[in-house]
Amino acid sequence: MLHYLKIWLASARYSIMRTLMFRGDFIVWSLVEFFWMGVNLLLISVIYEHTKSIAGWDKYEMMLLVGTSMLIQRFLMGFFWSSIFEMGRNVRSGHFDFFLAQPGNIMFMATTRKLDPDGLINSVVAGGVVIYAAHQLNLTPSVVDISLYGLLVICGIVIHYSLLVMSISLVFWLTSAQGIEGTYFTLTEFSRLPREAFKGVVSQGLFVWALPMVVVSNAPARTLLYGFQWEWTLWLVVLAMVWFSLAVFVFHRGLRRYTSASS
Amino acid sequence: MKPGSRVQNSSFLLSAFPVSNVSYFPPCFFFATHVSYLPPAFVIFRPLFSSLIKYRQAFLVGLQSNLVYRWNFAVRGFFSLFHLAVVFILWSAAFEGNVNIGGFDLRQTLTYFITLLVLQFFISAFNEDYQISEEIRNGLINQFLLKPINYFMYRFSIFVAARLVSGGLIFIPLLMAMPFLYEYLTYPVDGWRFAIGIPAILLSALIQFSIAYCFGMLTFWFLEIQGFVILSMAVETVLGGQIFPLDLLPEWLFRVAQFLPFYYQMYFPCAIFTGRIDYGMAIQGLGLQVLWVLALLALNQFLWRRGLRRHTAVGG
Repeated sequence: MLHYLKIWLASARYSIMRTLMFRGDFIVWSLVEFFWMGVNLLLISVIYEHTKSIAGWDKYEMMLLVGTSMLIQRFLMGFFWSSIFEMGRNVRSGHFDFFLAQPGNIMFMATTRKLDPDGLINSVVAGGVVIYAAHQLNLTPSVVDISLYGLLVICGIVIHYSLLVMSISLVFWLTSAQGIEGTYFTLTEFSRLPREAFKGVVSQGLFVWALPMVVVSNAPARTLLYGFQWEWTLWLVVLAMVWFSLAVFVFHRGLRRYTSASS
Repeated sequence: MKPGSRVQNSSFLLSAFPVSNVSYFPPCFFFATHVSYLPPAFVIFRPLFSSLIKYRQAFLVGLQSNLVYRWNFAVRGFFSLFHLAVVFILWSAAFEGNVNIGGFDLRQTLTYFITLLVLQFFISAFNEDYQISEEIRNGLINQFLLKPINYFMYRFSIFVAARLVSGGLIFIPLLMAMPFLYEYLTYPVDGWRFAIGIPAILLSALIQFSIAYCFGMLTFWFLEIQGFVILSMAVETVLGGQIFPLDLLPEWLFRVAQFLPFYYQMYFPCAIFTGRIDYGMAIQGLGLQVLWVLALLALNQFLWRRGLRRHTAVGG
């Protein structure tokens, strides 16, 4: 474990130094993410100018949900996105060989190599949105509730990470995974919706039960709003374990098919 | 949407224009010596016809090369249905207990978003900015500097071809979803909406392309434009009415938006067809849209000329 922590810290140091070299880039990308978070919040504000509730959630409850969803996504972007995205390219180009030769678990090495400080900076903004919404709702969560919220956010990150690894692992079979990241972004849109908004059998079956997008954001948000609810907590923790196991399985099955490229 | 997510290399298109295929004589040279029996009107417009033929070739090559990516467009179209599902779920929930939002009912609001989706595939600039940027960065534009080809027209011809392909392909997922969508569609049937709406769509396409072209031109000054493009995309998406209908904004903000080019990128034609703006607003809007088109075309020319002064052609 300590061995992996050391490797990860070395990668993090490298990523931060690289960011310091390209400061302009860092500022532009931080603004990009900041603007897109603003777009989501603007949508909420505009709708609530014309209505009082969306599926029983008032404005600040909804803001808490959207903030939580953004927080999970920012962490994913900050810690894993660049590495996983590049994995798709590396498998195609043959540069993936580099990871096979490294002293450690291949999935760990390939998916944690690069940090994106702009995503991490914006996770502070997303956290700020959650705190602001909680303050407007006069919530006074206990230390246990906050810890539980943290745990569920981590479970959410694990689920998003697993989904992304699985989608990009398709590159082992398809050779080109171009555009798959768009699929992932489309699916994350569902995590900004409250569970109660899903009324139809198909929409519930697909987005609430089959895919974990809705529960990923709803479970932590509900924990802050209503305190510990064992069914939501258990649901998310089990989902995190199941999806992570699936990702490990798919990645390693894909790895068997890797044949490198060029000479 | 980080590294290279929208980038698609288009350099293969350039192979359609080898230097040897292009005549260096002005088209009127041939006409004056060989076809002087043609009617006078043709004499005057002959150079125009001749240059249009060049761009017709670019259009045809663009059509073929975009058909190669038909599955990409079809998959993209299919996933747009997921986005539409998010829109349906969100707005249906918002309409619970409200008959109207901003003066429009649920069906009218959902019709707006369905129309928007179709328009996006017909007139949006997808990755034209990156293609132009790549061509400048890799020095592929050098060959256009040696030929009697207007780069803007060349790229625009390919853009039109690409949008015809993507626009046509969006109907596949849309028709599949039609049994479900059908009951939500409601369009006003006024003749003037077509008379103004169709030119508005064409002008919107021109605005879309011109903005993408401007961003492409920035490559003359900056090595990497992706950050700018996605930053601007957030603004364009909101002020173009793609996140919510702009008429839901507070009145003063809606007024301000009407003077910006983004309003005419997408919201304007969509609002005409879905009955969100009246005749007076449509006429006034069309005038402003024409002004924005002219301004953007002028800006494109300005950036191209200024950019070329900085351009260093490297390589063979």
